[in-house]
Amino acid sequence: MADMVKLFVNGVEVEVEAGKNLIDAIGAVGIEIPHLCYHPALGADGNCRMCLVGIEDGRPPLVPACKTPAMAGMKVLLDAEHIRKIQRDVMELELINHPTDCPVCDQAGECRLQDYYMSYDRRQSRMTVPQVVKGKKMAFGCGVVHDQERCVLCGRCVRFCRQITKTGELGIINRSDDARVNIFPGRPLHNRYALNVVDLCPVGAMTSADFRFQQRVWFLKKSPGVCHGCARGCSITVDHNREKEQEARIYRLRPRHNPLVNGYFICDSGRMSYKAEEEGRLNEARHGRLARSVDQALLAVAEDLAQGGKITFILSPDSSLEQMVTIRALAEKLGATLSGFSDGWIIPGDGDDFLIRDDKAANRAGLELLGIDCSRTGFTAAVEAADLVVNCNNDLGRSLSAEELGQLFQSRRLISFASHRREIDNQAEIVIPVASWSEYAGSVINCQGILQHFPRAVVRNQPPMELVELIARLGSPLQSEADCWQELARLPGLPADPATIPTEGLQLNDNEAAHDQP
Amino acid sequence: MEEVKILSAKFAIKDAHKLKVAKKHGAYATLDKLFAMAPVDVIDEVKRSGLRGRGGAGFPAGVKWGFLPKDTGKPVYLAVNSDESEPATFKDRYILVKDPHLLIEGIIICSYAIGSHDTYIYIRGEYTTQVKALQAAIDEAYKAGYLGDKVAGQDYRIDVTVHRGAGAYVCGEETALLESIEGKKGQPRAKPPFPAVAGLYGCPTIINNVQSIASLPYILDKGADAYRAYGTEKSSGTHLFGISGHVERPGMYELPLGLPLLEVIDTIAGGVWKGRKLKGVIPGGSSTPVLLPEEAKTVTLDYESMAAHKTMFGSGGIVVLDETVDIVALVKNLIDFYHHESCGQCTPCREGLGWMLKLIKKILRGEGSPADIDLLRELCDNIEMKTVCVLSAACTMPVRSYLDKFRPEFEAYVTKTNASPAGLQQE
Repeated sequence: MADMVKLFVNGVEVEVEAGKNLIDAIGAVGIEIPHLCYHPALGADGNCRMCLVGIEDGRPPLVPACKTPAMAGMKVLLDAEHIRKIQRDVMELELINHPTDCPVCDQAGECRLQDYYMSYDRRQSRMTVPQVVKGKKMAFGCGVVHDQERCVLCGRCVRFCRQITKTGELGIINRSDDARVNIFPGRPLHNRYALNVVDLCPVGAMTSADFRFQQRVWFLKKSPGVCHGCARGCSITVDHNREKEQEARIYRLRPRHNPLVNGYFICDSGRMSYKAEEEGRLNEARHGRLARSVDQALLAVAEDLAQGGKITFILSPDSSLEQMVTIRALAEKLGATLSGFSDGWIIPGDGDDFLIRDDKAANRAGLELLGIDCSRTGFTAAVEAADLVVNCNNDLGRSLSAEELGQLFQSRRLISFASHRREIDNQAEIVIPVASWSEYAGSVINCQGILQHFPRAVVRNQPPMELVELIARLGSPLQSEADCWQELARLPGLPADPATIPTEGLQLNDNEAAHDQP
Repeated sequence: MEEVKILSAKFAIKDAHKLKVAKKHGAYATLDKLFAMAPVDVIDEVKRSGLRGRGGAGFPAGVKWGFLPKDTGKPVYLAVNSDESEPATFKDRYILVKDPHLLIEGIIICSYAIGSHDTYIYIRGEYTTQVKALQAAIDEAYKAGYLGDKVAGQDYRIDVTVHRGAGAYVCGEETALLESIEGKKGQPRAKPPFPAVAGLYGCPTIINNVQSIASLPYILDKGADAYRAYGTEKSSGTHLFGISGHVERPGMYELPLGLPLLEVIDTIAGGVWKGRKLKGVIPGGSSTPVLLPEEAKTVTLDYESMAAHKTMFGSGGIVVLDETVDIVALVKNLIDFYHHESCGQCTPCREGLGWMLKLIKKILRGEGSPADIDLLRELCDNIEMKTVCVLSAACTMPVRSYLDKFRPEFEAYVTKTNASPAGLQQE
């Protein structure tokens, strides 16, 4: 617990964390100090001048809150008339050269300028002279599109590229109101986190080419999620919406602040991974060559399983703990073997020292925790010994070539539960579509041994069946999510109720669950 | 009323910028005395002399040196501010060209006093003649052993590096100057921390103006009391004044502080030229609020009197305005300069000065309204002191003074009774 100090805001005593800057310290007790350039991940710069506050009996009497540490006994003035006037005046100056093109601006609805105008300004413009004309729709690379006219030159994007990615592609060139954020000629953004500048930008100056003009943000439903792009499992927000008479659709993924996992950021490939939720999906169940309803297909699977013989279940390292534990339970009941083979998900050398990991699987730690064999030899032996192989949404094509797969399943019966259309499933006798991660609730353990739970985000018009339900229908002893958790709670460190997992996740005991790659 | 020759003692001597000539006239004569003293005694002497920073703000030099933290384990840097970018200011350039060894001697004194071994002289980029003269003098001083590993044979190292600016006014602001020396974009830093605690490369740094440093040899040689014999109680010593504008004899004059401004203009500079009437006086560089003739009559050339007249002593750049001056055009020129020189970091200065410029141009074109004048006046208040540095105030303080003192001239423009052709030409 950090040291707390008592200070006064507008004459009211509050207790805040000592040493934190005033924006964060006072913000923690719910009092907003307006600011544009300060961002907790990038530190204080002090250029926007929106956070100027009065310090009663202080020297100097006017200070930028972002650069002023909270100290005991400090008398902070926020609602004094002279401070309100400064906020109004700075807002006026921010806006005189702003195009105020909110109706066509993607940021509208989540724009600091809009919000602060409503909170601190609310006056008619007094600008009677021509505005400064600047560059529009400038392609900065990595799918970032810049609008210099909307820019308030807070420099967050510039500081992000200098401090976080250390690539320094962006700079503020020129002085005075000729100052512009720009790239160096011929040297566009070139880093794997570039799209974070779109989130960082407090206004609509940095937009994503992918999201531009796709959706007004106030229509988006914002669901917490966990990125399934790699073993980091970054906390994200899934922004989705169902337009009238249309299919529900994910429009974008954004980082969700999580100090334990990803801080304020996610990588670009994780951010764009929502496209995989939309494209190449398997929509129809099939038995042999004939399309079947899911119920019909399930009946056929149940019959096959009941016939006995040697059965092998293949699990996906992306599956949730709930899915894994129920498949394990069914396999135990049937005397079947299990394999989580997924070597191809690991791309050696692809990771970095920030967020991106070599392992592209979201829950490999879960497989390990449940004691499921992931080795290639175990996989080959299990498949070769089996009469029937049930693939529970493992994209085997990532680990084995088409030839290898063809050979392996030539003389073996294959049943596939798949979220996406995959080559290997052409060889399957029965194929049933299942939900992908944005369509179910579940829990995963990341590379740091942090357990996160995420709720269901998207509900499609024809929701594909969730694996937990599907396996329950096939006779798993675990008939519900609650059953799954009863079983999971027997593992060391895991709670009995996923609702008790904090939003930032639960750090499991390193010895048990962590599998930090070197 | 007479000029004095302390800083300018060798200005009239031919080739005084050369070491041989300078030495003959007393250059580096104080060094034996210096190294016999303890550094703390040097600081005390300078404190007692009452020497105030000659860059414009007038902060007591010795007190500033006292802010250096002790025993940080970090090097202490001396940065000499030779940016001299304030319009109407032309004093340091004389020292750089005519007596650079005076500056170097001052650097040795200051370095020894504050325990610094590395000096950076930040010189404005446009000073090509001056930088050549200064570098030549430094080279001579190195060769003669006044700089380098053993200064004047003592076990004390001083290295001096000349760093040329690239033409930004704001780099005369001490922290922007440090940023520029570090190779970054010249933008002022937020204070605290002050440079004395964390300056150049994060180390304790003292930044002094050329003229402040050049005053040190005299103080050390003749003593604080001799220096205090010039000037007033609180504004001691002499100052190089650059008198320009509508006077008969413009030029640089060294005068003790405390003389009456109008008398200086009339006797030293020969009075307003062509027998015209005085309209106003800019007392110390373009950023100081203007004085009306009646104010010029009562004000004296020292920090206290200027403050009492709601203006500033500034840099000693006195500009005399005769009755023909179009104040509106002057203000446009003024805003144009500060707008161009704003570093663009802080919102109020970056956006506000551009707005002010467009407003004054509109007024000057005869397209303005009384509301525009009011807005211009209000913007001065809205922008001033809301920024990291005082560049915005350097624009708004004088502009406010012109608006308040010459309001009818602005009104004449918006009521179109006086669309001055001179003003339109300026536009």
